[in-house]
Amino acid sequence: MTLREFLSDRLGRIALQLICAGLSALFLFATGTQLGVLVILLIGLLLVFLIVNMLDFFRQRTRLLELETIWQGLDRKYLFAECVSQPKGIYKRRLFDLTRRASRAMTSAVSDAQASQREYREYVEQWVHEIKAPITAARLICRELDGKTRRKLTAELAQIEAHVERALFYARADNPQQDCLLWQIDLEKIVSQAIENHRSLLIQSGVRIETEKLDCTVYTDEKWAVFILGQLLQNAARYRGTEPLITLSAKQLAHQTWLIVKDNGIGIPAHELPRVFDRGFTGSNGRIRGGSTGMGLYLCRKLAGFLELGLDIASEEGKGTAVTLMFPAKKKLTEL
Amino acid sequence: MQKIMIIEDDPVVREELVLLLENEGYMPLSVTDFDGVLKQAARECPDLVLLDIGLPGRDGFSLCAALRKAAPAPVIFVTSRDDGVDEVRALSLGGDDYITKPYSVPVLLARIKAVLRRSSCKPEPADLLEAGELRLSLTKGMASSGGKAVELSRNELQILACLMTHAGQIVSRADLIDALWDNQIYIDDNTLSVNMTRLRGKLEEIGLPDAIRTRRGMGYQL
Repeated sequence: MTLREFLSDRLGRIALQLICAGLSALFLFATGTQLGVLVILLIGLLLVFLIVNMLDFFRQRTRLLELETIWQGLDRKYLFAECVSQPKGIYKRRLFDLTRRASRAMTSAVSDAQASQREYREYVEQWVHEIKAPITAARLICRELDGKTRRKLTAELAQIEAHVERALFYARADNPQQDCLLWQIDLEKIVSQAIENHRSLLIQSGVRIETEKLDCTVYTDEKWAVFILGQLLQNAARYRGTEPLITLSAKQLAHQTWLIVKDNGIGIPAHELPRVFDRGFTGSNGRIRGGSTGMGLYLCRKLAGFLELGLDIASEEGKGTAVTLMFPAKKKLTEL
Repeated sequence: MQKIMIIEDDPVVREELVLLLENEGYMPLSVTDFDGVLKQAARECPDLVLLDIGLPGRDGFSLCAALRKAAPAPVIFVTSRDDGVDEVRALSLGGDDYITKPYSVPVLLARIKAVLRRSSCKPEPADLLEAGELRLSLTKGMASSGGKAVELSRNELQILACLMTHAGQIVSRADLIDALWDNQIYIDDNTLSVNMTRLRGKLEEIGLPDAIRTRRGMGYQL
C-alpha cells in the first residue's frame, strides 16, 4: 500500500476533519477568540490529525506486509485464514470470522475431495492388480491352443493389458511421488522391455524394429519410461503405413540423452500436431481408424513432466512421425 | 528332474503353472496349505520357489525370509503389484528375480531357466548344435558340414538355431519370428524371407542346398 492509496482511501475522513476544524475556528472567531490563539489551536489540531493518520497508515502497512509474508510462506493457500492473527475492532473481527468460516468450509470440501480421490485411486490400483490374475491365467491357458488361435488370443489379451496398464498409470499420475523411483538404467533394457510388452501387437502389425546405439544409461524410473515408450510403440504400430519400420536410436548430449522413436507411418497433419498431447484428443487419424482413446500421449506428457523428461514430436503426413524422449542428466535430477 | 515349488493363491494360475512346468520337464510342487508351507519346503527341498507376494494371511515378503532359512532354494517373486518399491524390497530380501503378472510364458520360462542355471552352477547351454551332417557353433556363429564352414549373420544364426533345436519338426514362420524377437531381433515377415534365402544360399556353399525344406502353408522343416 502506498501513501497515495492510503490518502485516497481516507479522503472523506480527512476532509471531514478539516471541515470540522475550519468550522470550530470560525465559531471561536465569531465569539471573540483572539486570532493568535486560534492559529495555535489550528496548528495543534492539524498536527494531531497528521500524527493520527500517519500512525494509521504505518499500522495498516505493517499488517498488510505481515499478511503478505504469511501468504508467501504458505504451502496450501486455502489455509490462510487459519494462520493469521485476529484483527482488532468488532467490525473487523466479525468480517474476519466470516472469512475464516468460509475458508473452513472450503478446507473440509477440499479434504473430502482428496479423500475420495485417494480412495478411488486405491480402488483402481487394487482392481488393476486383481484383474491381472485372470489375465495371467488366460495367458497360461492360451498356451494349450494351436498356433493361430493362440496368437490371436494372445494379441487380444495384450490389448486388454495395454488398456489396464493405461488405467493404472492414469490413476498414479495424480500422485506420482509415491511410485517414482529414479535410478540408473540401461536404455537398452527399457527398450527391450517396452518392445516385449507390446510384442503381440507389433508382430501382428508386421512391424520391423531397428535399434541403433542404445548402449547408454539414463536416470529415470524404469516402469514409467517403459510405459511411455510403450505408448509410442503402440501408436507407431496402430498408425502404420506399408512396410512399417520403427527405428529406435539414442543420442548422447552433454546434459541429456535422447531416445528417438521414428516410424514411417501415416503421420499427423501439421495443424493437429500441437494438440496431440491434449487429453482425449484423437485427431483425424484416430477418428478414421477408430479405437483411439486420446489418452496415450496425454499420459506420456503428464508422466514425462514428473520425470523431468523432455518430449518432442515431429511429423509429416504420409512420411512418418518422430518422437524424441529427452532424458535429463543425473546432476539435474538431484534437485528433484 | 528339478523341483519347482509353486506358492500361488489363484487356483487357475496355479494349476496352469503346474501343467506348464510339467510340460517343460520340471517337477512342480503346488502348495495349497499356506500355513504348512515352510515344513513342506524343508521336507521337499525344492530347487526353485515361485512365490506370489499377495498371499492370503501372510505376505510374501516375510514368507521369503522364512523360506530362505527353511530351504536354501532360490526364490523368484511373482506378483501383480508392480511398484518399484516392492521390487527393491523383494530383491533385498533375498529374492533372486522378480516377475510381474501378467507375464508371458516364454519370459517366465527363460527366467526360471536362468535362475536355475545360476544356482546350480551348471555350464551354459550347449554351444554346439547338431542335426544330421549340419553342425552349428553358437558362440562362433559358424555353420559347418563335411569339413566346409560358413559364417552366419546374427539373424541367420538365430533362424538356424531355432530350426535345429526343433530338427524334424515343422516350424511356422510366426514361430520363427517369435524366436527372433526373443533374441532382440525385431524383424517382420519380409525380412524373414530375405534372411531365409540368404541362409539357404550359405548352406548351399557347405554342400547342403536342400537342408531347409519349405512346407507350403505350414512353415519350414530341417
